Amino acid sequence: MANQAAERAGQLPPGEARYPDEPSTQDIISRDKVAAPGWVRSESYQFLGDEDISTDRYKDPDFAQREYDHLWTRTWQFACREENIPEVGDYYVYDIGRHSFIVTRVEDDKIQAYYNACLHRGTMLRAPGSEGYATEFKCPFHGWSWNIDGTNKNVLCDWDFPHVDRDKFTLPQVRVERLAGFVFINMDQDAPPLAEYLGPEFMAHLDAWKLENRYVHCHVSKVIPANWKLTMEAFMEAYHVIETHPQVAPSNADANSQYDIYGEHVNRFISSLGVVSPHLKGQVTEQDVVDQFTVGDASILGDADRTLAEGETARQRMADMMRVMFEQATNSDLSGVSDSELLDCFSYTVFPNTFLFAGISLPMVYRFRPVPDDHRKTIYEVLFLRPVPLDGECPETAECVHLDESQSFTEAEGMDPGFGEILDQDTENLFLQQRGIEASAKQGLTLGNYQEIRVRHFEQAVDRYVGGGA
Amino acid sequence: MADLPRGAKKHAKIDDTWVLVCNVNDRLLAVSGVCSHQAKPLWNGRVRGGKITCPVHGARFDLETGEALDLPATKPIATYAVRVADDWVEVCVES
Repeated sequence: MANQAAERAGQLPPGEARYPDEPSTQDIISRDKVAAPGWVRSESYQFLGDEDISTDRYKDPDFAQREYDHLWTRTWQFACREENIPEVGDYYVYDIGRHSFIVTRVEDDKIQAYYNACLHRGTMLRAPGSEGYATEFKCPFHGWSWNIDGTNKNVLCDWDFPHVDRDKFTLPQVRVERLAGFVFINMDQDAPPLAEYLGPEFMAHLDAWKLENRYVHCHVSKVIPANWKLTMEAFMEAYHVIETHPQVAPSNADANSQYDIYGEHVNRFISSLGVVSPHLKGQVTEQDVVDQFTVGDASILGDADRTLAEGETARQRMADMMRVMFEQATNSDLSGVSDSELLDCFSYTVFPNTFLFAGISLPMVYRFRPVPDDHRKTIYEVLFLRPVPLDGECPETAECVHLDESQSFTEAEGMDPGFGEILDQDTENLFLQQRGIEASAKQGLTLGNYQEIRVRHFEQAVDRYVGGGA
Repeated sequence: MADLPRGAKKHAKIDDTWVLVCNVNDRLLAVSGVCSHQAKPLWNGRVRGGKITCPVHGARFDLETGEALDLPATKPIATYAVRVADDWVEVCVES
């Protein structure tokens, strides 16, 4: 089989080869009973070169500083969900490196974000990483204060500050845009609008998902001992599934997953579930596939009977089961949702540091931020979004559970144990990868043309910003 | 109890102690009504997920344990036993 693959690869332009003699993701999806929408049934791969990715980006503190200077200061970043700040006066502090911003709702339909520092002697107005409700933003040092709308409220002993024009002492703002329930910020006043930054194709995909009608059901963060880009790249391909997640491979079409890129800032994979890995062809039955099937919250599936009828496929059974069980568990209507959306993993990178997942079975959002002053560590957050119940009463937004570096994801309240184990397997590799890159005689990463295109696409975006070209 | 439906809070001065009682998911939790950071009143804060934020400087406290969760507070606030007697909410402020 390997020789056959090499031969075929040699006959095709680079990036065009696929796992031999296996159905493509589109083939798998086309056989589903409830047909998938256009955003699922399209492909957008592009060959972007095959040279190595230089590894200084993962191990050089100067590279990290250039990222702070040129990348984090110029990109749109997911700061919080709208439901984190549902009422006027609610705020959420978003920190990135030395930067910190108070994101606050100033009117029912207006959100602003301020540099989190007093204009007197610089004290933070709110603690990093905190959230809550404010009647004013008052400095705990000398009591200078600002109204929720950012205008100056009080300068203590203003007779001593005749040189301070209070009209000019409004809290400086960064740009804010709201999209699909997410609040994005950008420090660059000259950056393109968010929709332009993300591009029309992805905007059309996002519009179909209605993520604004979901709420944060579970939120977990953990410090990972690897550079933020390495940590993100651990989640950009299904190529690693057979080695890293052997328990998943019986029900995941890993090596025939689909990879797409959209403009400069978005890429994705579609990885079909309920289908056996090509690596295990002939080694597992359809019944094995359905028995192994894992979703982001397996409690939804309860103790459902997984025994297949004669001729029934695992994928179709899982889709039918997911539809019924998920509707009941979350009081939602999935009648218009395709089998593929119910089952498959749709993983999108939104540059620079967010993953959005479109499906129902794996309804996550990931966020990755470098630990300030340590380019070898990352704050990795996992959020699970659930549909707002049909009765319209939105449950309270989950508060973030912070795990120690040594803790397992399975220990976090609200985390499905099976999914937590998968995340543990992903992150266990990262310590060794970071150290291996630092120890290696080889100064570059070698990537697969197809299955690792998201990594290349992502690093090319990094290079455009850090190199000053974006 | 009529003053404390689910999600509501009520403050009162008992002897010299300001007390704040919150109804969190039909559980009554009583804490000091004064922030441990700079003695600002906590009752103007908003309760979310069993925690209250001081609306002035942003200190946040666990209503069940009194633990300080966010700077600038580093010290807990007092918690008090609470009971309902004939629809009256009673708080025991003696240690």
